[in-house]
Amino acid sequence: MTLPKGFGSGGGGGSSSADVERMIGKRVENMTGMITISFLAAWGATFGGTAAGYFYYPWAYPTPSGHFAFIVLTIIEAIGYIFCVKVMQEGSNKNSNGVVAATVGFVAAATIAITLTVGH
Amino acid sequence: MAQMPALIPKEVEIQRLKKLWLMIIALGSIAASVEVDNFVDGSLHQTSIRDSAFTPAHWWLYSHFIALPVGWGAAAIYDRKIPILRGPNNSINTGLKMTILGYLATMFTIGVNEMWHFWFVEEIFAVPNHWMFNMGVVVAFMGALAYVVRVYARLVELGAETPGENPYVAEMYKMALEGKLYSRSIP
Repeated sequence: MTLPKGFGSGGGGGSSSADVERMIGKRVENMTGMITISFLAAWGATFGGTAAGYFYYPWAYPTPSGHFAFIVLTIIEAIGYIFCVKVMQEGSNKNSNGVVAATVGFVAAATIAITLTVGH
Repeated sequence: MAQMPALIPKEVEIQRLKKLWLMIIALGSIAASVEVDNFVDGSLHQTSIRDSAFTPAHWWLYSHFIALPVGWGAAAIYDRKIPILRGPNNSINTGLKMTILGYLATMFTIGVNEMWHFWFVEEIFAVPNHWMFNMGVVVAFMGALAYVVRVYARLVELGAETPGENPYVAEMYKMALEGKLYSRSIP
């Protein structure tokens, strides 16, 4: 197997499993933490965006409209999050179903709590 | 420009395709969010006049139209690590090219749109400055669909994803792998 410059034994042409690991870097099945943090950050930013809408522009962006947008976007983001983790871990021994269930459960509960209390 | 190796180990390629897949899912979510805001923005413009460029529905729309070309540009940078996805003459993949150009059009239309609305406050859907938003998104979607199919087809070929059972879908994957998804002459 031809490897890029800097990989493989000098001039020998052979690739070892260490070379392959070095080319891969962090494996996708180990990225659950980063994906989870990104999802929570995106969800927080979504709340920030809609909150800015109905606190600063209540006449143009009424609270129920903001909550509706927040709920729809939370669903879109949650689908993306679940899809990311499941696709990255398929075919490997890793399983983060517990983390995904806890995260999505927390976000669902927090979304309901926010829509029932904020802006009323 | 550095010469890309013709082949990379299978395991490396699967991992790189999946990292690209992560970016594609994130960018797809942003595109879905834009579609939601089309309704939010449309309903706002039916109920209130345009007093400012920076209404919430516009923060939402405009920030996404900047995030999308930048995000797909980042995907194009990472795409260079996967030789199978190269386009004609070792250039950017044609689908990726269309996606970036489409979303760049929407990004520049933000400025065009604001210039138009400086004189004409009315937010009629069919005014010419809005055409470029819609045409840009359509071009980007066409390119992104072709690119996604090609990435997925390669994951199928490498055994990392399940092949399609529908013969028409299987044929589409085969064409994608041969670089003939768009046409028989444009890879």
